[in-house]
Amino acid sequence: MIPALQRVARSLGVLLVVLALTYAIFYLAPIDPALRMCGKPCSPEDLEAARGFMGFDRPWWAQLGSFLAALVVGRTYGSGDVLVHCAAPCLGYSFQYHQDVTTLIGERFPVTVSVAIGAVVLQSALGIAAGALAARRQGGILDRVVTAVSVISASAPAFVVGLLAVVVVALRLGLLPSGGYENLADGPGPWALHLILPWATLAFLNGAVYARLVRSSMIEQLGLDYARTARAAGLPERRIDRYALRNLALPLTTLVALDLGALLGGTVITERIFGLPGLGALLLDATSTADLPVIVGTTFVGSLLIVLANLAADLARPLLDRRLAVGGRRPATPTTQETSS
Amino acid sequence: MTSPRLPRRGLLAAGPVVLGLGALAACTDGGSSSSSDAGGAQGGTLTIFSTSEDMSFDPATSQSLAITSLGLTARRLTAWKTSADAPTELIPDLATDTGTPSDDGRTWTFTLQDGLTFEDGTAITAATVKYGLERSFAKELTGGLTYHKVLLEGGEDYEGPFSGKHLDSIEAKDETTLVFHLNRPYGAFGWIASTPAFAPVPEDSGEPESYATKPVASGPYRVASYKAGSQVVLERNEKWDSSTDQARTGGPDSIEFALAQDSSVVAQSLIADRSDAQDAFLASFVPAAQLVQAQNDPKVGDRLVTSGPGALEYLAMNTQSEALKDVKVRTAIQYAVDKEAYRTAKGGEISGDYATTLITPGIEGREEYSLYGDAPAGDAEKAKSLLAEAGVKDLSLRLVITEDDTAAAEAIQQGLARAGITVTIQPLDENAYTSEVPAGDGSGYDLVLGSWQPDVPSPDANLTPLFDSSQIGGGNYNLARYSNPEVDKALLDASSTVDADEAAAKWAAVDKQILQDSPLVPLIYSKNSFLHGSGVKDFVIGEFPAYPNYLTVTLG
Repeated sequence: MIPALQRVARSLGVLLVVLALTYAIFYLAPIDPALRMCGKPCSPEDLEAARGFMGFDRPWWAQLGSFLAALVVGRTYGSGDVLVHCAAPCLGYSFQYHQDVTTLIGERFPVTVSVAIGAVVLQSALGIAAGALAARRQGGILDRVVTAVSVISASAPAFVVGLLAVVVVALRLGLLPSGGYENLADGPGPWALHLILPWATLAFLNGAVYARLVRSSMIEQLGLDYARTARAAGLPERRIDRYALRNLALPLTTLVALDLGALLGGTVITERIFGLPGLGALLLDATSTADLPVIVGTTFVGSLLIVLANLAADLARPLLDRRLAVGGRRPATPTTQETSS
Repeated sequence: MTSPRLPRRGLLAAGPVVLGLGALAACTDGGSSSSSDAGGAQGGTLTIFSTSEDMSFDPATSQSLAITSLGLTARRLTAWKTSADAPTELIPDLATDTGTPSDDGRTWTFTLQDGLTFEDGTAITAATVKYGLERSFAKELTGGLTYHKVLLEGGEDYEGPFSGKHLDSIEAKDETTLVFHLNRPYGAFGWIASTPAFAPVPEDSGEPESYATKPVASGPYRVASYKAGSQVVLERNEKWDSSTDQARTGGPDSIEFALAQDSSVVAQSLIADRSDAQDAFLASFVPAAQLVQAQNDPKVGDRLVTSGPGALEYLAMNTQSEALKDVKVRTAIQYAVDKEAYRTAKGGEISGDYATTLITPGIEGREEYSLYGDAPAGDAEKAKSLLAEAGVKDLSLRLVITEDDTAAAEAIQQGLARAGITVTIQPLDENAYTSEVPAGDGSGYDLVLGSWQPDVPSPDANLTPLFDSSQIGGGNYNLARYSNPEVDKALLDASSTVDADEAAAKWAAVDKQILQDSPLVPLIYSKNSFLHGSGVKDFVIGEFPAYPNYLTVTLG
């Protein structure tokens, strides 16, 4: 338990550092959110008043302190008769949306979750299958195709792939909707129909990493002593493949966790191209309109998700490999255990 | 506040600057006209594709033009009548006329039409217009147009109605009579009364912060549903009476704003005229690649609509920069600039007409003139001789731009190089540009590319924000940092003149007076291109502004 607690504490530390850096960076950057709220024309008095009202007239570390406190006790902006309340857990208040950031993120999170989970399932399934098949037929046509496609997909810009998918599949062939989002509550059919293209685009872009990792690791595994022994003992190839893949469980879990965390933080370009109202689109808009509370709130939630995913992967490692469990049995060589199981 | 390159625009009339390709640009310059022959019928659902993530239907926080999104739900005291071949006209909206000034121009009286109601059936009274205006002074409802705030007596100390205080200079004399007491004479107050804050708001309209998504409609549509980042649906306001409204036709039964759209994807849908895009248009400009595609696609035809000359694109010269303090040097730059190359870089003829004046086309009071020769390519020899007269050698200047203006900046650079002026281009991202240029102290640039379309079609909204000394820095748009007490006085005098003809003459004179001082080089009056589906009718872009009039669009 103690190492687990240590890991949780470390994760919290990482979060705090990310948050402090976000504040410091945006404080140093030439962004003045109050300019957007000053109106046109903007008098110096109005500008100063807007800064004060929004709390941007204080040093960055004081703002960071208020942000952290607001997570627990909420926050009130303004003074006297003019007050805007933001209930705990308050991630800030957007004066452009006239809404608290927690609500804004909460409204968009289901969209991002829908995109992220589907994409991760598809990209890992396709990537692992393609990598394993390529490793089995090393040097063959399938291997060459997988390698070529993974090079293209790993180097293609998301914007180009997404736009191409929309133009060809949705606009030219008319097979799928070109964009938008339907709530899962309104029926899984329309929900999935609107997400197939984003899922496929992300799977194409990210699946290459899985394919390449699995291919090279499988080739390595299949050449190891345990695989040769198993083959000599007359075990079928399919079973040997399973052993090899089991040995890839750890790196793949870490990869899936990191991908999931990153996708849950929002996929900026994909969401924009497919008109999906997720966290990525929110962050993109906030960056262009200097909506600092939204930038900080989404960055915080994004980092929180990556840290949590990482933590989950970390905590799951002993479950996947008992050798990593505290006090667990340490076999002489990993292969012995695998081949004898 | 908006983009520095598009400082004036309605909320949903926002979009990237059009960068077409010069070689193809001349093919189908559609002119500033409607794309349809006959008016469409009533009914149907119009879709408006927008790149914005959200919309504000709160008049206090909106910078929407009188003819775009907010105008669908909120009427104001006055409105605009736009036409493709005539200057935009000020017409009454909630009021019976466009306002009656007192002899000294300090008091303006408006009378509301009888029998007007909100969507819930309650009466639109003078008190509700007063309340709407008072809300715009509240600190939590900032970000809208503020022209009225500096004109209304006592406005500088007023903090809104939520603490129970009222602004006495807005006098609701009875149910239908409103009297405004100004702190100085002002001739164009009728135009100011068409800005968002002059829309009525009932006192029991709920939480101020939520009004942006749950407004009480006075226009032909009410907000039926609002999902930020996704979709806003407007449905017919049954209490709206078309016989009382000269500005709106209320054609479609409902209007859907599809938010957070990618303009390239939408433009492709519109070019293909897909079934889900036939009763739709894209609120932002057509992106460069799709503009070329649309111009060359015979299926598109008059569904690509290009405005007439609109916003002034200019090269501002920082008059406080040591290198540009001498008017002779600034005049030399007027001759050195190659407007032809600039326009080619911006996309050629479809991107705009050459500009020689400061007041933009479509605005009453504008007078055509050209102080620095008629050749768009400039006169490099004249520029050289002026620099020699000024005793300036090896002039080196920093030109600050936003990243998407690189080609245009290079055209400026090459033009000035012909006169021996070295220009260093410094591209900045939009936030950095805002911080360095409109909000900076002026030490970071000598030259800057800017664009201006006034919020209302009056010469005051055209000239004062760009040249009055009170508009330097702090996020304002006097980018030339031009400070001339004589000009300040002339601007004040012209804006205070109530007689329209007299005012027009004064504005024409002050336009020339400023340009003689050469604080900026007028480059082009830009044209905007829009795409709509085949089911959309009455898609009219008037002489001002260079955006379609949402209030009169119908479906065929």
